[in-house]
Amino acid sequence: MSTDIDTTTQQHRQPAQVSLDDPRLTSFDVLREGARRDDIEIVHYEPPFPVSGTRAERRISRFVAGLFLLAGLTATAFLVVYIWWPWEYELGTGISKFYTPLLGVSLGLTLLAIGVGILTWGKKLLPHEVAIQDRHDGPSSPDDRKITGGTLTYMVDELGVKRRPLLGVSLLAGLAPVAAVAAAPLVGGLIRDPHTDNQMATTGWEPVETVGGGTELVRLTREDGSPIRPADVSVGGQMTVFPGIPGGHTNRYADSPTLLIHLRLDDARTARENNEAVGKPDYMWGNYIAYSKICTHAGCPASLYEQQTNRLLCPCHQSQFLITDNAKPVFGPASRRLPQLPISVDDEGFFVATSDYTEIVGPDFWERP
Amino acid sequence: MTSDTPADRRADRGRGLLARLRSGRATPRGRGRRRLGTAVRLLAALFLAGGAYTVFAPGLQAQDTPQLSQAAEDGKALFDQSCISCHGRNAQGVEGRGPSLIGVGSASVEFQVGTGRMPMARQEAQAERKPVVFTEEEIRQLGQYIQELGGGPQLPDGEMLRTGGDIAVGGHLYRINCSSCHAFSGGGGALSSGKYAPSLEPATDRQLYAAMLTGPQNMPVFGDNQLTPEQKRDIIAFVQEGLKTDGDPGGLANLGRYGPVTEGIAIFLVGITVLVFASLWIAGKS
Amino acid sequence: MKRRKFDARALPGKAAGQLDDRFQAATPLRKLLNKVFPDHWSFLLGEIALFSFVVVLLTGVYLTFFFDPSMEEVVYDGSYAPLRGIPMSAAYASTLDISFDVRGGLIMRQMHHWGALLFMASIVVHMLRVFFTGAFRKPREANWIIGSLLFWVGFLAGFTGYSLPDDGLSGTGLRIASAIMLSIPVIGSWVTSSIFGGEFPGTIIISRFYIAHVLLIPGLLVALISAHLGLVFKQKHTQWPGPGRTNDNVVGERMFPRYAIKQGGFFMIVFGVVALMAGVFQINPVWLFGPYEAAVVSAASQPDWYVMFLDGSTRLMPAWELTIPIGDGYVIPPLFWPTVVLPGILVMLSLAYPFLEARYTKDKASHNLLQRPRDVPARTAVGAMAVTFFIVLTISGGNDVFADKFFISLNAMTWAGRIGLILLPPLAYYVTYRICLGLQQHDREVLAHGVETGIIRRLPDGRFVEVHQPLGPTDEHGHGKLEYVGWVVPKKMNRLGALGPAVKGFFFPIEKPVQVPPPAHVAIDPAEEQPVDPPPADKDKKPADREEISSGSR
Repeated sequence: MSTDIDTTTQQHRQPAQVSLDDPRLTSFDVLREGARRDDIEIVHYEPPFPVSGTRAERRISRFVAGLFLLAGLTATAFLVVYIWWPWEYELGTGISKFYTPLLGVSLGLTLLAIGVGILTWGKKLLPHEVAIQDRHDGPSSPDDRKITGGTLTYMVDELGVKRRPLLGVSLLAGLAPVAAVAAAPLVGGLIRDPHTDNQMATTGWEPVETVGGGTELVRLTREDGSPIRPADVSVGGQMTVFPGIPGGHTNRYADSPTLLIHLRLDDARTARENNEAVGKPDYMWGNYIAYSKICTHAGCPASLYEQQTNRLLCPCHQSQFLITDNAKPVFGPASRRLPQLPISVDDEGFFVATSDYTEIVGPDFWERP
Repeated sequence: MTSDTPADRRADRGRGLLARLRSGRATPRGRGRRRLGTAVRLLAALFLAGGAYTVFAPGLQAQDTPQLSQAAEDGKALFDQSCISCHGRNAQGVEGRGPSLIGVGSASVEFQVGTGRMPMARQEAQAERKPVVFTEEEIRQLGQYIQELGGGPQLPDGEMLRTGGDIAVGGHLYRINCSSCHAFSGGGGALSSGKYAPSLEPATDRQLYAAMLTGPQNMPVFGDNQLTPEQKRDIIAFVQEGLKTDGDPGGLANLGRYGPVTEGIAIFLVGITVLVFASLWIAGKS
Repeated sequence: MKRRKFDARALPGKAAGQLDDRFQAATPLRKLLNKVFPDHWSFLLGEIALFSFVVVLLTGVYLTFFFDPSMEEVVYDGSYAPLRGIPMSAAYASTLDISFDVRGGLIMRQMHHWGALLFMASIVVHMLRVFFTGAFRKPREANWIIGSLLFWVGFLAGFTGYSLPDDGLSGTGLRIASAIMLSIPVIGSWVTSSIFGGEFPGTIIISRFYIAHVLLIPGLLVALISAHLGLVFKQKHTQWPGPGRTNDNVVGERMFPRYAIKQGGFFMIVFGVVALMAGVFQINPVWLFGPYEAAVVSAASQPDWYVMFLDGSTRLMPAWELTIPIGDGYVIPPLFWPTVVLPGILVMLSLAYPFLEARYTKDKASHNLLQRPRDVPARTAVGAMAVTFFIVLTISGGNDVFADKFFISLNAMTWAGRIGLILLPPLAYYVTYRICLGLQQHDREVLAHGVETGIIRRLPDGRFVEVHQPLGPTDEHGHGKLEYVGWVVPKKMNRLGALGPAVKGFFFPIEKPVQVPPPAHVAIDPAEEQPVDPPPADKDKKPADREEISSGSR
């Protein structure tokens, strides 16, 4: 069904041009003439109720009027609810829970009533018409094309870049750095080296330097900062632990949350064997094992621990890590095992991290060692 | 007796009782009679010895069953009827069918049986909550039996285990420990391979406490050293009052509190549908 | 001084004269007032997007007066009891204030979010309409490109918007966004640390997102929408083929008053629907999510529906990590492909599609007439493929919710998604193609043999035949001579007459009592085997109901 671009348009022109000074013209005639001058022909114009006062017309008018009045009523209801309905939050159930729904319903009904009213008015009370307008699309006339093309070419000649190539070259060469100057502050200000202080390889578990010059191992703590004894975690239980440093449980150390798991005897044995097989001999303490909670796929906390299957499921993209086998991924899009935190117990019987993580915590990146 | 024959009795009448007893028979017995008497005495002695042994010797059943309280006995009767096929005699467990219940405690029983999960209908990925088979009393008895059999965690007394709980603290603890499986709204979520963390909607205070304490199936165990009873109260108060019974202020329907999935479905099924019908009305012939 | 009489009736004329003296507005105004727009319901879908954008703008301005885009830690002390005393960012605290401590704040927040979802949904629906009808062909490729860009800029607007409250759900999404940036080869870690101002989450990202969301992106959206509408205005809207319609005209109605009233009414309806949904359905209850903490996550975590297809592609991607063994060894993580490469390909494909199709069909002509989807089976089938692809990905984005509520294994859902993504689109292509061909064939069959009347006649030799009503004059074999012209072929008796339903009413027929008894019954002679003449024009109907040349109301 292809049509050529240059088909002759069907000219719907009225036979004679109308003079606008003719006093016999009705306003519709004026309108028609104006449309004609825009290449629009009104081929069908039909008022729905040529005889005024019919029952049907009155019915529709009443309907529209009723809708507008309804809109006014619901708008008033909106205002009444907005001002006087109790809205302050209270725990549990109460009529304050209906504040927002009532506002929404009354506003919605108001707008819908106005909309339906306007539309009914337009559809049923206004004349039906069919008008045809010529598109006059397609390319400009060949003359215009030639003129504009010639003007532009002449303009370029006037500038004289061809005659004076030095100007052109210097313009480009000189202005290129200017463009860079415009971009420099924003881009330069934003740019930040991701490896300052080796931050991507350091977490809150890094042993802290003490005043005396030595290093102090970081304790595992709950979210309230209290340290943890082995007896605190039941067999088959898991606990989310944070570094025992100021702000260790906040988002300042978003790469540090760790999952401390107390494995059953058989599982712990398997886990330790697998640990040793990959060169992590002393990472566990007894039957306790600690893995980073930050998923190596996209960084969500992988925290759905299934104590019987020893799978750790991450809820974001369903990666599953096998805790008894170095937390290696066994399903889903994750491709790298979770880093393991080497733990031990200090003199007072609280868990400590014997060192920082030895693998990168969190999602992978290009230069990940 | 010393006076066996009429002649002896006549002879004995003349003496006092004590004299009769002391001196024995007045006349000696016949030989047959003596033999019979020996036999009888022998038999009597044998019966005596045997009977005493039977009464006082330790019985076979007393060797592997400790002395159970009455409630536990009732529980044992129920157990032997409904649970033994998968959990084995004395709850030792059956390979491939049911784990040992030694050490799970009455709290586990109250959770599993009280939510209808047990008795399990068939072997599947996870036991699901279904209509409860036993009465409250029977559940208590079963729990008592298992508790006395192998010990384990027990629930504190009382129906309402949330009094004094701080819902803000509870909410914080919930989000760190529970929401990853049970979702922010408490509606539950999927685990791997057909398992799931159930919705908290039907759970009572005691069931919530029991689940945290015992770690049913794949749920981790949150012992009282990890989440103290007070913290458990905080969490229960948060779940029951801050999540479940707190009405939704934002609408008449909360779309299941699932978040963007149901919101996306709603915008197409409601919003776009209504507006497409509106466009059909607007542009069609009236 | 003589007081001039105040003539109120002449005032508008005088005012107009003053304006015209200065701005020469008479001629352009006439052109605007008289401009003809074609009238079909599917042309209104883009307007849903426009009007919902206005709603989102208005409610958004309201929200900016109350929102605090700062990540500074504060302790919440508002009315929502379950979070009282909890430390959180000021952004989250201010969102809670809007929801609970500002009168009417929650309804505005909800209208804003529902409006945004509607904006994106209507863009998709509108884009599908434009695609399946071929409205993107020359000369409208630029408008298609602007429209595709509008989808992606809207996507960014939504993403930055729902991340502003810094709640548990959107914060997790932000974490994933940071991981996505990290996965870009060579520059990934630099991009992340530059945008976040350091390691995730930093302290500045919400403020940066705020300025993007309230200034940069809306500015871009307004500019693109203006260009989009301007092009429609200049090039005039496309139209369906039909009586009186050619490639060089527009048949419809003039802008004022009827068309403009319809626009205004529709705006009210869209606004009303958004308000109703905001009142009836709760959306994004951030108070249940708590503030964002790196150790907290929820089951059933998804982004908003228009981002969910990317979440789906991420979940389905197998764990294929690329290691490049030069130097210290470099790695391209599996996250790169579904979240960076795939959207990149989709953007490029959608932008280039008009040119690709033009090159493939070797069609360089200018098209102002639309095509019915069945008449271009290849394009329709490609579109069905794309829609299937999108739906499989979106469902996979929510696969844990579906797994949980429909008792399906989560692992099985993932595998079903992986396999479905490869198998279902080609299947959809094939099925759609065949359906289009079938529909085309049916159109031509009805043109040739007429409409089935449902009247069964028994011929003398015992055969049963159905009487068909021809649509026009027939040749000697009884076949119709009408050609297919690219518009709807009436297939039911009640559609004959003037391409509009002769029986009014959408859901139920509106029956009018008959004014005049019907004409006398004419006996049909079976021996003649002549087709029945088309039914006579309904003289009994009132003039007002007469359907003349209509404007294509299917």
